[in-house]
Amino acid sequence: MVHAGSMYVIQKTERTVVELKLENGITGLGETWGTPDVYALAQRFARELIGKDALDRFSFREIIGKSSYENRFGRNGLATIAGLDLAAWDAAARSLDMSLAELIGARKRESIDVVSTLPAAIFPRAVSRKELTDHLDVPANTRLVVDFALEQVRKSGFRSFKLKSAAYSPEWDWKLLNELHEALPATRIRFDPNANYGAATATELCRRLDPLGLEFFEDPTGELEGIARLKAAVKTPVATNMWVVRDEHLVPAIRRKAVDVVLGDLFMWGGIDAWRRMARVAHAYGIKPALHSVYETGIATVANLHLASALAEVEHPNDSGLHFLAADVLSEPQEVKNGAMRLPTGPGLGVTLDSARLDKVTLETTSVRAP
Amino acid sequence: MAAPLSIAYTHVHSLRTASGAEALVARVLAADGTAGFGFTLNLDAGVARDMAAWDALAQAKGVPLWGLLGGSHRKVVKILKDELPAIPADWTALRKDVLEGRHELLRIDPFAWGSVEMVSTIAAVAGAFDLSIALLAPNAHPWEFQYCAALAATLKGEDTRIISRKDFPQKEMKVTTTPGIEIDWSLESSFSKLQWQS
Repeated sequence: MVHAGSMYVIQKTERTVVELKLENGITGLGETWGTPDVYALAQRFARELIGKDALDRFSFREIIGKSSYENRFGRNGLATIAGLDLAAWDAAARSLDMSLAELIGARKRESIDVVSTLPAAIFPRAVSRKELTDHLDVPANTRLVVDFALEQVRKSGFRSFKLKSAAYSPEWDWKLLNELHEALPATRIRFDPNANYGAATATELCRRLDPLGLEFFEDPTGELEGIARLKAAVKTPVATNMWVVRDEHLVPAIRRKAVDVVLGDLFMWGGIDAWRRMARVAHAYGIKPALHSVYETGIATVANLHLASALAEVEHPNDSGLHFLAADVLSEPQEVKNGAMRLPTGPGLGVTLDSARLDKVTLETTSVRAP
Repeated sequence: MAAPLSIAYTHVHSLRTASGAEALVARVLAADGTAGFGFTLNLDAGVARDMAAWDALAQAKGVPLWGLLGGSHRKVVKILKDELPAIPADWTALRKDVLEGRHELLRIDPFAWGSVEMVSTIAAVAGAFDLSIALLAPNAHPWEFQYCAALAATLKGEDTRIISRKDFPQKEMKVTTTPGIEIDWSLESSFSKLQWQS
């Protein structure tokens, strides 16, 4: 599949997969971003985890510093810790014979509604920015996205969609969202231009879109001030995955009444406990936490299902892009049926790594062992 | 976030402590037969049951309480005398006051707030607002200090502490590494006389 949005036109995703083996022989699975920087940090931080207690995961974050000031690795550091942290949560849960959801707090739901991404435009192959904008200059091409959404409904019963906007033309987005609403009146639709519209354009567009009753506007503009002003000007809820992405962003967003939904990404927030704390604080102040995702393997997708199951604060469906990937690394297929995914059974994440599948897509492998 | 435990049986007894106070002691029996215990001196059985359920789960899994909650932020917890009032168990008021910057330290009586989940939620809010929590042992009973120490292990914040209205002989408590919440039930002889139904 070709993903066309405001930030990129891509045909592949690269991820770092973590296997963390405890002294008791139990292995936990984790995953994070696959950029060269994060992959390098994962090797470095993994060395510092040797000898640590997997039950005491609070200490992992100290690897990048106790405060945001000390974190000289920025978001890459948080994402790296999150990948290792996830593997440790999985290993700990497996050791305790508990599902990951139970170790997070409870296993409240067995089925979680998920959201299908809709690309800004539909292409059979990756295209240049010029080809993308030429395509977006033809209003009739919105029909291709509507047809793509209908196909997802037929195949997997999706009841929720996220339209990734190229933020090239408000008229294109307005026309397309109206057509989607008309074609799929019972579905939830979130609209995400990744803050590539200026505040004035975004506010004008979102006001026009208000009557559609979308699920929320995700990062219609930026930064925190821009999105806060937009929120005050519209009726539809406003979400962010860009301006409230780590601990120190949350209180300013609460004070400013900047958003209705924090669409938190497990990797940006720095791991399970950080996400859980964010959900509790957001909920305490009337903001809904929800789970963000890009194109992740089954490991992170299932981790997000466990978080949604464990935390009653999560009401919105989970983002998910796994169904668009040509291959996964797990033995068990994680399928979307009737617009939802089932929480795997068994300890930890409840999934197993398929070595043969992993080998087929592996670019590089590093092992860090105790001396 | 009650303890994620399949509970087979739960029972609450009243006992008289050596000092003459009344305490409620709860026993929770997990489906695998593991027993956990909890208590309160404020006569709210809910907090005793919640503590007993977490104790049973931690005992069954062979880990201290912090091993079920994500980790421990400290190995030792300070105990300080503090006579300032604890924050009333009013969630709406606490959230508002924190937002308005009315607190520098959240003095919380965990027995009044009722559950591990509630304390964890307050702790998340405290952490977001760069506040620490002082856990009040309201009657300065040794069991209260032990429970507060188990909770304090999981709380962020440099100023996290246990507070008491009276001087207490110990100035700090070690965070347990043994399974369960590690209350020393033998400190009250009446505990051993309780008759638990099977």
